[in-house]
Amino acid sequence: MAQFRLPVGSRIAEGRYFNYNGAGESMRRVQVYRWNQESGKQPQIDTFEIGGEIAGPMVLDVLIKIKDSIDSTLTFRRSCREGICGSCAMNIDGVNTLACTTPVADLPETIKIYPLPHLPVIKDLVPDLEQFYKQHAIVEPWLKQSGEAPDEERLQSPAARAALDGSDECILCACCSTSCPSYWWNSDAYLGPAALLQSYRWLADNRDGARLERLKQLDDAFALFRCHTIMNCTSACPKGLNPARAISKIKKMLVSRQKGN
Amino acid sequence: MVDIDRPTSPHLQIYRPQLTSILSISHRISGIFLVLGVVCLSGWIISLALGEIWFGWFDAARSSLLGQVCSVAWVFSLFYHLLNGVRHLCWDIGWGLDLPQVYGSGYAAVIGAGVLTGLLFIFA
Repeated sequence: MAQFRLPVGSRIAEGRYFNYNGAGESMRRVQVYRWNQESGKQPQIDTFEIGGEIAGPMVLDVLIKIKDSIDSTLTFRRSCREGICGSCAMNIDGVNTLACTTPVADLPETIKIYPLPHLPVIKDLVPDLEQFYKQHAIVEPWLKQSGEAPDEERLQSPAARAALDGSDECILCACCSTSCPSYWWNSDAYLGPAALLQSYRWLADNRDGARLERLKQLDDAFALFRCHTIMNCTSACPKGLNPARAISKIKKMLVSRQKGN
Repeated sequence: MVDIDRPTSPHLQIYRPQLTSILSISHRISGIFLVLGVVCLSGWIISLALGEIWFGWFDAARSSLLGQVCSVAWVFSLFYHLLNGVRHLCWDIGWGLDLPQVYGSGYAAVIGAGVLTGLLFIFA
């Protein structure tokens, strides 16, 4: 049974207040989820009021400013700062997205930042993605062929390659899976949009030899069919991909396979 | 990793409601509500078979304010569930899965259900 309320130890208390040059027109108000296992306390929301110059226009720049100038214990993942590594995925103003590609100017006066939803929290904005990566491994995202490997590369026509467009650009940021209510309640059995998009990427590859085996693996009540086409995944994807359509195509493949056999 | 009692990050509490998720949960709620409607509809017909006293009692309940509000809500739920069901059937054959289409068909389902409900009460 899905648990809609947060467990007692996960409920959020009001946290500290920081003001850094916080006056005038350029003032920004940011509320950030904080949790630290050493504090022994429940999670809290810290409020930061920041004025003056910030090095860049994005939410990630604001977080870096907080870490540099106000509270160096603020913890978050970041790396490429240009939307290709997927590290800084978090829930900003109620939706999952990348902090490095979200302009502060598009957000309301108070910016609320939480870690990706319904995951165990390691510290502050850093969630534990172990289950997410395990599910990725389950779909075996590599080319499978029987027999000896050929001496030359396996060529693919431009048309066959085009079938993979929109499924191989995933950066594994987990924005889609953790935006999905179905994934929140069943992440132990439902693979989630990110892993299924990756599965589709190999099902759609004309060089792959394990199509039926891959489909068979997905053919149960949970792994694939816990997708109820809610479409939160597609509306969250910071790369503009459409995991819901990929899942729908896999469902169709499964049905037509059964008709064929 | 050492076994630590980690908090679960907030989900329903903080995720912004959007048309995608709202219409999805509405589909379920309207379905459950319609089951209740079928029970009441059957009760209404059974009361007719039981005779004048029972039917009069049931009809009074139906024409009360609560009964009327529920009737409108049931008709709306029926049309919404029907139209959104068609939306789901389209998705199952791979139609209309782009985000603009999802939003367009979503608004169409809600507005369509409203219009059909209005028409039914005007002409019925």
